[in-house]
Amino acid sequence: MKQELLLSGIGGQGVITLGESLCDAAVKAGFQVTFVPFYGQEKRGGRTMCNITISDQVESPIISEANIMLIFDERSLHDYQELMDPNGTLILNSSMIDAEPTCQYGKLDKVPFYDIAQELGNPKTANIVALGYLAKLLPMIPYDLVAQQVERSFARKPKLIPINLEALKKGYELS
Amino acid sequence: MGNQVFMQGNEAMAESAIRAGCKLFFGYPITPSSEVPEYYARAMRERPEEGITFIQAETEVAAFNMVAGAAATGHRAMTATSGPGFSLGQEAMSYMSAADLPAVIVEIMRAGPADGEILAAQGDYFQATKGGGHGDYCNLVLAPYSVQELCELMQESFELAEKYRNPVILLSDATLAKMRESVELPGRPELPVPSELPNALRGCGKDKEPHKVITCGDGAVQWGAFNDRLQAKYQVIREAEERWESYNLEDADIILVAYGSMARVCVSAMNLARAEGIKVGMIRPISLWPFPQKAFAGITGKKFLVCELSAGQMVEDVKLSVENKRDVSFFGKLGGTTPSPKVVLEQIRKMEVC
Repeated sequence: MKQELLLSGIGGQGVITLGESLCDAAVKAGFQVTFVPFYGQEKRGGRTMCNITISDQVESPIISEANIMLIFDERSLHDYQELMDPNGTLILNSSMIDAEPTCQYGKLDKVPFYDIAQELGNPKTANIVALGYLAKLLPMIPYDLVAQQVERSFARKPKLIPINLEALKKGYELS
Repeated sequence: MGNQVFMQGNEAMAESAIRAGCKLFFGYPITPSSEVPEYYARAMRERPEEGITFIQAETEVAAFNMVAGAAATGHRAMTATSGPGFSLGQEAMSYMSAADLPAVIVEIMRAGPADGEILAAQGDYFQATKGGGHGDYCNLVLAPYSVQELCELMQESFELAEKYRNPVILLSDATLAKMRESVELPGRPELPVPSELPNALRGCGKDKEPHKVITCGDGAVQWGAFNDRLQAKYQVIREAEERWESYNLEDADIILVAYGSMARVCVSAMNLARAEGIKVGMIRPISLWPFPQKAFAGITGKKFLVCELSAGQMVEDVKLSVENKRDVSFFGKLGGTTPSPKVVLEQIRKMEVC
């Protein structure tokens, strides 16, 4: 088993938090995991991207092709689509992306993560909706482990745990 | 998976240093090394039982000199920085080398000259391995390729620094620094008594010879002897401390040579090539100074592909180590881009055709 993922968005959208939570859950599920973030020198509004590998063995932390690519904004789509696995799943945040991908892909999912988060009552949970969506595509990581990770990452702001767990579930049930 | 934690390279390395008894950290924040001083600053506040002293210096010049001063007490001391800060510290590096002071310097390379890009690169190989500062001096340089190895070499760096009374550079890059992976944190080794170490200035107590930290001779004859003594030490280190890992050399037609995060990519590229039936092996230098020349001894009739995140620096040491330098090819990327395993595989395929 080996999955290579690429997640990308704009600084502040929670892409790094999303990736870290997914990785923590994957580690607890017993996999070898690498997580490498890439970001620019900007404090806000810069690009944030991460490479993730989830495997039975130790892998290169730099991925060759994304089996799953999650893109939050158009510039990221433009920059990283060439790394798409032609048989992989490309997930676009259709709340912010109108452009069509020009790369080859196995499956294209357009999901309005921000609109869904808005309906739930807090647009900031868009990344957790996306985490739930990814969790469904990675059934080897038990959902409960992902949910526990979300609880842990909001341990200092316990008021936010219920809405984020709801967002996670919503995303999970979408895919 | 027993005691493993999923941890960032910089933070795991800092924790490893604390466990190695390094309670003195002097630094100036600079991406991609800032998590190391941050970790020490937090540990100083939150773990008073450790007895940690962290000082944010006014510049790297000051931080490196504070490390030199602390090393002269016999206590373990370190700093961590990135390209521009490492350049500022070179005068102190030269002094520490001359004064036989043990210290560990973490250098997390940036891409390119001047400010550089904060992404992963390996363009400071020459600076780390060939001096960097003035004078005929050498520093041990160790290059890990995983978070686990970062932790292990961090601890070993202190032992080597004390063993040889010499600075040790731990050469990392932004990928290793920022990446998270599973790691088993090392334990707490038994430590020497600081005042017993020959580099510790402890005054003239009863029945004790004073220790001296000397950076110069007096007159041409003494200067010659002073330098000869340093060179003799470097020769001992060269003979004893070459480190490397070899993979699949027996039947290999093509041997990849890479270190640090690039080596991690190359292991995967080697596995991809083997899956296609291309016989690829690999040599991964772990000590960059001394460069592991023994790893190349006796290898003939094979092609070498040196992969670096630079315009070609370690490749020169590889050419000095092989029987026939015409067997050596180079593939490099600049500016903070790390080639993926498939990109390296394409280079391997090209060599196969040649």
